[in-house]
Amino acid sequence: MGDQEQLKSNPLTPGDRFPVGERTVQIEPGPLTRFQAIRPQILKRVSERTFENFTDSSLDILLGEALYSERLRMSRDRWNPFTRSRMQGDRKLWNEVQRGLLQPAAEVDRKDLLRQVIDHYAEEMGGFFDPAVYELAIHAVPWGFSWMLNAASVRRFLPWGMTESLRSRIRILGHIPELQKLAERGTILLVPTHQSNLDSLLVGYVIYLMSLPPFAYGAGLNLFSNPILSFFMRRLGAYTVDRNKTNSIYKQTLKNYSTQILKEGIHSIFFPGGGRARSGAIESHLKLGLLGTGLEAQIEAMMEARPKSKVFVVPMVVSYHYVLEARSLIDNYLGDAGKHRFIPARDESWQIRKVFGFFWKLFASQSNVTVRVGRALDIFGNFVDEEGNSVGPQGLKMDPARWLTSEGELKKNLQRDHEYTHELGLRLADRFHKENTVLTSHLVAFAYFETLRAKYPDFDLFRFLRLSLPQRTLPWVDFLEAAERFRLQLIQLAQKGELYLSEELQNSEDIKSWVRDGIRQLGLCHDTPVMRVSEQTVWTEDMNLLYYYRNRLAGYGLSRLAELSGRNNHFGQNDLQGFLV
Amino acid sequence: MTSKDFWYNSTVAVIGGGSWGTVLAHLLSRNCRSVRIWLRDESQVRQFNSTRVQSRYIPHVQLDQKVSATSSMNHVLEGGVSAVFWVLPSSACRLRARDLAPFMKGDEIVLHATKGIEGGTMKRISEILIEELPTRRVGVVSGPNLAHEIASGEPAATVVASEFAEVCHAGEILLRGPQFLVSTQTDLVGVEWAGTLKNILAIAAGALDGLGLGWNSRAMLITLGLNEMVRFGTAMGAQVQTFLGLAGIGDLLATCGSPKSRNYRVGFRLARGERLEKIIEELGSTAEGVGTTEHVWKFASARGISMPITEGVYRLTHEGKSAGDVLKDLIQRW
Repeated sequence: MGDQEQLKSNPLTPGDRFPVGERTVQIEPGPLTRFQAIRPQILKRVSERTFENFTDSSLDILLGEALYSERLRMSRDRWNPFTRSRMQGDRKLWNEVQRGLLQPAAEVDRKDLLRQVIDHYAEEMGGFFDPAVYELAIHAVPWGFSWMLNAASVRRFLPWGMTESLRSRIRILGHIPELQKLAERGTILLVPTHQSNLDSLLVGYVIYLMSLPPFAYGAGLNLFSNPILSFFMRRLGAYTVDRNKTNSIYKQTLKNYSTQILKEGIHSIFFPGGGRARSGAIESHLKLGLLGTGLEAQIEAMMEARPKSKVFVVPMVVSYHYVLEARSLIDNYLGDAGKHRFIPARDESWQIRKVFGFFWKLFASQSNVTVRVGRALDIFGNFVDEEGNSVGPQGLKMDPARWLTSEGELKKNLQRDHEYTHELGLRLADRFHKENTVLTSHLVAFAYFETLRAKYPDFDLFRFLRLSLPQRTLPWVDFLEAAERFRLQLIQLAQKGELYLSEELQNSEDIKSWVRDGIRQLGLCHDTPVMRVSEQTVWTEDMNLLYYYRNRLAGYGLSRLAELSGRNNHFGQNDLQGFLV
Repeated sequence: MTSKDFWYNSTVAVIGGGSWGTVLAHLLSRNCRSVRIWLRDESQVRQFNSTRVQSRYIPHVQLDQKVSATSSMNHVLEGGVSAVFWVLPSSACRLRARDLAPFMKGDEIVLHATKGIEGGTMKRISEILIEELPTRRVGVVSGPNLAHEIASGEPAATVVASEFAEVCHAGEILLRGPQFLVSTQTDLVGVEWAGTLKNILAIAAGALDGLGLGWNSRAMLITLGLNEMVRFGTAMGAQVQTFLGLAGIGDLLATCGSPKSRNYRVGFRLARGERLEKIIEELGSTAEGVGTTEHVWKFASARGISMPITEGVYRLTHEGKSAGDVLKDLIQRW
């Protein structure tokens, strides 16, 4: 079944909003609600599994390496009064490990040391779930936002007054009924694109709006350094992921944790891009480690003949007109051309004023956030139908158990499973691009950037980003024409199912209206607008930010220059001049 | 049960009964319980099942009783097979895969031995099979394997490549024979492209011989041609080392030197001034190189990949230029 047909049979046409009234469906308490009861058991199992994973390793080397990388991390980590006790706990543990490693193996058992380390990690990772806090959060947070929304919105002057609500600013599109059904038939692994720290909150709220039971999710440890956020997240099923811990013991513990909760049937969220997209582009290189835990959980559940053993991977694409942390992200990306993994821990998303400003502008400008729920995939990256069957070529139903059978036996096979996950990653990246909803501001940024670039075809990225103000100014008429040309190209792509367009782009009769809307919304949260228009000209105030927003449409083969410059252009790579294709 | 036991007790299907398909079935019959071979033609099926000889392509090979033929995609997979060997011409791959797909279970491994690509999309055969069959465990068998020589029991070596280790492993167990070596590798892309691209050079080699030229010019062709293969292959995501192995230079040497190769014969007779349509008609089986030349040349020229020899072969096969003129052009341009 084609994507288009699917949408027609769906009560929600692509442009429609998900009818989010009051939640009518009383959610069945998901497995997460009984998480408290099984938590000790899960953590115990995670520790045991991780320990087993390392039985064949040379523990001295393993622990030595972990010790080294942890010392390095601790010297770099910043702490605040709130995270201090965690830091002290870390220090204490590693001092002990160090002392232990200096003693001969006969006196201090390496296995005990390893066990200590694993237990420490598992405990740090493990979340809690408190239904009372969940209720509080779900009601209090929107209430706060609603208040702000109504204070900020011009509509408060209208007679009907306080009618706005947060949900009216979130457009939820796509395969929602399918997701609701699948959530009852198996375990959902929701994988959203990741642009902003606000994503965690947004996605959590969207899940609530879709009448789904709460999900567990992996949240960056740095999010837990804010006491209020931490209080809520800790109790809402979040488990911590610290991307600064790069040692193999930690990674293995994390994978086992994820596998274990998926196996228990707890729906989970993680951001497969492994952090916010620093270039602004849609993720094209996904982290396979955590993604593979879906497959592992499914095999184990099948081998134990558990009911609802299937894991469904559901992509979700969030489209913002503006990203709070855009500046830090793109500067970081450009600063080291994508090699360095550390994002400064404190960026705009930590400044209360900025966060407040973000929402204020979101509400005051009649702007909105678009979230699209993608078609569900199985753990191999095949589509699944509403019933949870994997659908293959010619609509054939496929049996995942057969795919997991090697030499006549249903079993794990590390190499095979890794290859399956690799393919899942590729397909997921492709789905991210296809489920993307293009907003007016994305197209304005892209069209402007590319039109400008056509004037300087020989410049490489860094030279191009340093264009002077007169150089980066275009006649308004020329720009309008180019923008409309790109829009028509996008409409063609949309018809082929390569992407979606927002209502404004789809139905625009007047070129000026959508372009002006795009320019107005583009990067609205930054101190200065990214693009400005005078009577006859249009120019950009900030090339780096423009590049960031332009990259949202990279990967579709839209840039003519990218097409010309040859064959090495797979999405997510840079062309010969350094531009993202 | 070790994996050898599993494969020695398995049933294997071979889709396609040309000369290489038949010889593969012959090799396989030594290492598994039974082999089913799919032939398009009902009369050939009957003849094969009574004589165990594929008289049309390779009449001197007597196959084992374990091998049976059928013309039904349903029967060839009946009761479940563990491996499918795919030996059809590239032009038939997509449609035949669609026919086979409904009967597959999903735990079969698939190995193909087709040295060609799909025109227009430039997709490799493994890509087509993954798109059309309900499995992802696909690999390729390729190398210097002239069917007639292997059938007569001469020593030879082949390459099995797949991203899945279990596919390589199965191929190794199933194909290994007293005179037949199997090596495995993971560069599926490289092995497929090497097998495809060398057919272009085989036509060129045939043409050189048709002109009556000697070893110096052939060595020049092979060396420069290998460079072209590497240039194109790496652009398509292959690894350079693959072209230096059996599936690359190995296959190239065998095809360029053997009058038994169909592509070579096409080149040879073109150089003698015969018309392409007539040659293909008389050949009676597919010469993949002709189509490949067109697809590769068009793709490469649109993207600025330098491939002078391929261009020359294209002029020879598709534009009706004489071999002498093509060669003169080539040498002048260098």
